Amino acid sequence: MNHYRRESLAVAQRILIELLRRRRSLILWTIFPLSLLAINTMVISDRLQLPVSDTLSLVAPSVLVGAALFFSCLGGTVATIVAEREQLTLKRLFLSPLSGLSYFSGIFIAHCFIGFGQVFLVYLGVILWGGKFSGNIFLGAAIILLTIVSYVAMGFILSTQLARRTEDVNSIVAAFGIPLLILGGAFFPTQFFPKALLQLAEFNPVYHMNEALVGVGKNGDSLEKIAKHFSFMCGFAAFTSTLAWLAYNRMLDREKRL
Amino acid sequence: MLEIHQLCKAYGKRQVLNNLCLQISPGEVYGLIGSNGAGKTTTINILCNLLQFDSGKVEIAGCKISAETKRLIGVVPQENLMYKNLTCAENLHFFARIYGLSGAERKQRVRECLILVNLLDRANSVVENLSGGMQRRLSMALALVHHPKLVILDEPTTGLDVEARYEIWELIRSLQQQQITVLLTTHLLEEAERLCQRIGILKNGHLIAEGSIDQLSTVMPGQEVLIIKTEQEDLAIELAEQQGWQPRRYSNDLAFWLPIHYELQEILAIFTGVQMDAISRQPVRLEHIYLELTAQHRTLL
Repeated sequence: MNHYRRESLAVAQRILIELLRRRRSLILWTIFPLSLLAINTMVISDRLQLPVSDTLSLVAPSVLVGAALFFSCLGGTVATIVAEREQLTLKRLFLSPLSGLSYFSGIFIAHCFIGFGQVFLVYLGVILWGGKFSGNIFLGAAIILLTIVSYVAMGFILSTQLARRTEDVNSIVAAFGIPLLILGGAFFPTQFFPKALLQLAEFNPVYHMNEALVGVGKNGDSLEKIAKHFSFMCGFAAFTSTLAWLAYNRMLDREKRL
Repeated sequence: MLEIHQLCKAYGKRQVLNNLCLQISPGEVYGLIGSNGAGKTTTINILCNLLQFDSGKVEIAGCKISAETKRLIGVVPQENLMYKNLTCAENLHFFARIYGLSGAERKQRVRECLILVNLLDRANSVVENLSGGMQRRLSMALALVHHPKLVILDEPTTGLDVEARYEIWELIRSLQQQQITVLLTTHLLEEAERLCQRIGILKNGHLIAEGSIDQLSTVMPGQEVLIIKTEQEDLAIELAEQQGWQPRRYSNDLAFWLPIHYELQEILAIFTGVQMDAISRQPVRLEHIYLELTAQHRTLL
């Protein structure tokens, strides 16, 4: 068990060091959720005639699960694995005793740091602008954690099965991501959706992530109240993690050669 | 240190390794040479537990190949497989952690490795800013960071300039001085000749000959090789064959195996009447042995 912990932390630290080294990317990733938060708040506040503080509580969860975490955790995982394949460092890892589980957990831990960093950043913006997080912080953290697990697992599936080069990353994230995000209520509230679209959204994990976090963050909902979304998220996280593990092992069989 | 016994591996109907037998003693530098497709990379993949073999026995330091034996091996692959955005020290620390080194021991080992590969002054340089030679030296340090019992060098100087190649050769010699067991695969016969105590020649997945250069030389058809350039090759061959010298064609050169040492005047006398453009007499080198053995498919074990 000890070696899993040591290996996972080594992988996580390595990913974070690489991220910190790319300072320009780091600045851009900071600008992205904050600009989205500001724009969405201004538009929705105006359209719904809501005070900015209330609008922030509505918009911040969507910006987080729908945009910031999606691109950093899903896009980031895809980029990490594709870069490992392109630089052939994955082969170096195959030569080492690093276990698949440690590799998966390492990527997950690194993206937890990145994800919770973004949560801190977005809610810092919310608080400075006069908004707040109304619900139970631990429940909010659990929703975010499940969101990160799901996104990292989806990133594993996409990167091991579909993306072979860096250029593939954008097209995959765009093809799978943007429709899911729009249908999940990431860019405008789901209350704008027609009934048919809402029925379709029920099958979209982003919708449940978004609804759960909006419920807790804006309305202070309890676990019972968001049980439907929360259980969907738990099931989805377990499902995608299993698929990710199978996809990773399939990739190992394919690429485990010098 | 390494024992391979009757190792067989086939990809579908194609037999890649065919009863390969090979032993390497502790502290030995062993060269495995052979043309592309001979089975060198397959052998390395099996040793690294990246590929399952069909039959036979493979043991490293007395342990059967498994995920655990990865800890006993250090590999320098053909490409520089390392994180280009990290520094030399960060790369070493990362892999040292993966291999279970921690705290002061890890710091000490990273420093030792940087000193060994002469990169201590570049410890904090980002890898992508290093030259190809430096990156290859770092690749060697990465292979050594966990004190492996067997180091596998897979064409370690491919793509390097002469200067960088000499640096890598010096490093391999320093491994030899430290009694580290090395398995070297290379296409550069000069490299194997200079560095290896024993050499195995692999052809079609089978070891067709093995031994030191001196041992391999004893089964050659002569003691020296004569290379000549002439327009009158037929005449030269006829005259040489009268002496019992076996003619060969090495690349574009016409060559003869000389059974004993001849003075230059004696050789020129034998070729009287042949208009020579160039003539050179060479001691038996690995290149000649390799060409001779791979041409004849002879099993000398």
